[in-house]
Amino acid sequence: MSARREIVSSPQHAGNVMARAATSEAVRGGDFLFVSGLIATDPQSGMRMAGTTASETRQILINLKQLLERAGSSLDKIVKVNVLLHSMLEAPNMNDVYVQFFSDPPPARTVCGARLPDGMKVMIECTALA
Amino acid sequence: MREIIAAPRPGLDLRRHYGHHQSPAIRAGGLIFCSGMLPVDPETGERRHGTLTSEAHVIFGNLKLLLESAGSSLDRLVQVHALIYDSIEYDVLNRVYRQYVASGPPARTVWAVQIEAGFKIQIDAVAAA
Repeated sequence: MSARREIVSSPQHAGNVMARAATSEAVRGGDFLFVSGLIATDPQSGMRMAGTTASETRQILINLKQLLERAGSSLDKIVKVNVLLHSMLEAPNMNDVYVQFFSDPPPARTVCGARLPDGMKVMIECTALA
Repeated sequence: MREIIAAPRPGLDLRRHYGHHQSPAIRAGGLIFCSGMLPVDPETGERRHGTLTSEAHVIFGNLKLLLESAGSSLDRLVQVHALIYDSIEYDVLNRVYRQYVASGPPARTVWAVQIEAGFKIQIDAVAAA
């Protein structure tokens, strides 16, 4: 038996930067929902919202919460988060915002420093229970 | 259902030692998702900086403790992301890595990234529960 694969999409997704990059926001497969690496965007216009590491982290997690809830999941059902930062020196600035979104016990997580597209400072991807 | 895997040794609780807002591992859907493993002393949490090889030995020791406490093992790894500080160390990584995945190695991706606290390697793993 093969597991179902289902694209999760939203009306807001149509005009945003990911849609133009041939990327779905999230795909349901088996028990899991696999979410693409999100950058900070305005959920209405889909435009990038470049800012500080803290402000980008906050915007991404607000959008991620909405995305998961539209897909029938939630932040509390996340099992693993990968956070990519433009500099690891900014990890505490990310973490200070991150703690406000995840109640106890938090999901597993990996944080690393990487070169991100378009000069963005933060990218967050995750896997959640569907 | 999502189940938290607690740190099997006090030093492996990175949240307590370093304020990282993360659980050591989560069991869900028949899999175990581990937080990024770092070369810290499993008893004290102290950072064990060294060569990529020495750091990898510490990490795999910690990963073994974590997976076995969750009823899994290194032989049940499904997917590994090996994060290293510079791709020039790729061959060095392979030499130490192969010692720990002797029987049917897991799927793997190697990334050259910046790792916290100047570490040379971090291992991100998913194992069958």
